[in-house]
Amino acid sequence: MKNLLEVKNLKKYFDKFKAVDDVSFEIQKGETLGLVGESGCGKTTTGRTVIKLYEPDGGKIIFDGNDLTNLTPREMLPLRKKIQMIFQDPYASLNPRMTVGDIVKEPLIIHKFPKDERDDRVNKLLKLVGLNSEQAGRYPHEFSGGQRQRIGIARALAVEPELIICDEPISALDVSIQAQIVNMLEDLQKDLGLTYLFIAHDLSMVRHISTRVAVMYLGKIVEIASSEELYSRPLHPYTVSLLSSIPIPDPDKSDLRNPVALAGEIPSALNPPSGCSFHTRCPRAKPECKNLDVKLQEKIKNHFCACPFA
Amino acid sequence: MSFYTSAGEVQAVGGVSFDVKKGEILGIVGESGSGKSATMLSIMGLQGSNGKIKSGEIIFEDQDIKTLDIKKIRGKKISMIFQDPMTSLNPVLSIGYQLQESLRKHKWHGDIKARAIEMLEKVGIVPAEKRIKQYSHEFSGGQRQRIMIAMAMINNPDLLIADEPTTALDVTVQAQILKLMKDLQRGSNMSVILITHDLGVIAGAADRILVMYGGKIMEQGTRREIFYSTAHPYTKGLLKSVPNPDEPKKRLIPIEGQPPDLLNPPKGCPYVARCPQAMKVCLEHAPEVSKLSESHFYSCWKKDE
Repeated sequence: MKNLLEVKNLKKYFDKFKAVDDVSFEIQKGETLGLVGESGCGKTTTGRTVIKLYEPDGGKIIFDGNDLTNLTPREMLPLRKKIQMIFQDPYASLNPRMTVGDIVKEPLIIHKFPKDERDDRVNKLLKLVGLNSEQAGRYPHEFSGGQRQRIGIARALAVEPELIICDEPISALDVSIQAQIVNMLEDLQKDLGLTYLFIAHDLSMVRHISTRVAVMYLGKIVEIASSEELYSRPLHPYTVSLLSSIPIPDPDKSDLRNPVALAGEIPSALNPPSGCSFHTRCPRAKPECKNLDVKLQEKIKNHFCACPFA
Repeated sequence: MSFYTSAGEVQAVGGVSFDVKKGEILGIVGESGSGKSATMLSIMGLQGSNGKIKSGEIIFEDQDIKTLDIKKIRGKKISMIFQDPMTSLNPVLSIGYQLQESLRKHKWHGDIKARAIEMLEKVGIVPAEKRIKQYSHEFSGGQRQRIMIAMAMINNPDLLIADEPTTALDVTVQAQILKLMKDLQRGSNMSVILITHDLGVIAGAADRILVMYGGKIMEQGTRREIFYSTAHPYTKGLLKSVPNPDEPKKRLIPIEGQPPDLLNPPKGCPYVARCPQAMKVCLEHAPEVSKLSESHFYSCWKKDE
């Protein structure tokens, strides 16, 4: 399989705040890479830097053989057609003063899609996401949260992208609507050959949708493996405790479980702990972890983990 | 219970009856707009100037809450914690002042500072003597929610209403907070109403569960009854729409359609438009409540044989 996206040693600092610190991963064509971690771990910043909404401070972003790292916004424009984004908040990511038709049409105008074919394309896109063309004249406030997320997806699909960065696309939606959107994303992936970077904190949904999963902590990837492997055989102590904390919707199983308690909360990335940055909360920490230079290592085939003791 | 808005009357809760027993955790699960928060605001007398309880009664410890002075009960016998620990604390007052405020208001007998320190220690904010002087911005999200719990429990309430107490928190912190709430509840014989949209949280924490939809109770029962002898099509749909941990890759089964418009509520069952088993009668008439056991009830015209 060929890599559609390669991210090498990516860094994004906001002043002293190391939001993304030396992150590397690749995404193969047609797969879904899940990116999980707690708030402030840098997963959203990673997604936004990959698409160059933020300028990277180091490392390389290679998309389909093109190095995006140092491209100017003008040079990026033709490539933006190939990488689109879906946002978390379907209330804030749609312009309330534009009709739904105009929202979906905007990327077609920006990327100079033939004028006389635009309306047709908008209607097709609305149908593709389960809305109907009569709704094109309405405004976002007339739609429910799930329907608005469909509009955001139609807009992302307008210019026939290859990679879609999905930044928490379902966390603002009700449980019964989440499944509708996830199924739709899976169908679209199959039908259109899409590749996803799926950023989320809902670990059970990420397991469901992802081919491979990367776990982030304080700006770094601490573990990456296939979804099946990661969930059945987590190696990094952070992943272990994260997975053991997922609430299970089954009373008997839930009673049998004993979450691996972590002391405290994520330290600030302004002043991250020395050595392995997880050592302050790690249930298995040893004195030497304070001074360790941790790197992702392949522990089992295709299963990488940053803890030398795992 | 209705809210009067510029768009018209929103019937947030319609004909809801339930009870909370001493020392139990009652879980209420429902989606946005299901009426779960509106029900709780009514109990606390916090429905606001545009909210009105049109009918019904709320009985607390054998007395009609209307005949009681709610201000004397709120914060003392019944207290509440909210979803967002960032906005529930006053940023310009110290944590200690805010903890002691409710003791002062409800005339605590004894040393109020010592009581505030004791509660902070109980929720794991240490060293309490030092931290009591700090302000909310000096605490993380999880710590703020711990402080909210300390504040809510400082007068030894009989009933604690927790409205999505862990929704804004990360999973590892969520696990800590749920455990803390359970431990404190067991140690005090307090009753808890836990409102959440997360089926996993409710499966782990609640003794009994109410399932709400469109302002009405669809089903209620013990947590084993709700999860293992599910009766209502909505509850069934909800349980099927989340990934199954044993078959994580299996295609999800969503509930099709959209939640009802409460400005213009359906005449019969609120779930009728999305229900795979809907019949003619469901459109016109609200279903009666059927009893399956002493604790298990559901509202549906469709009867399982």
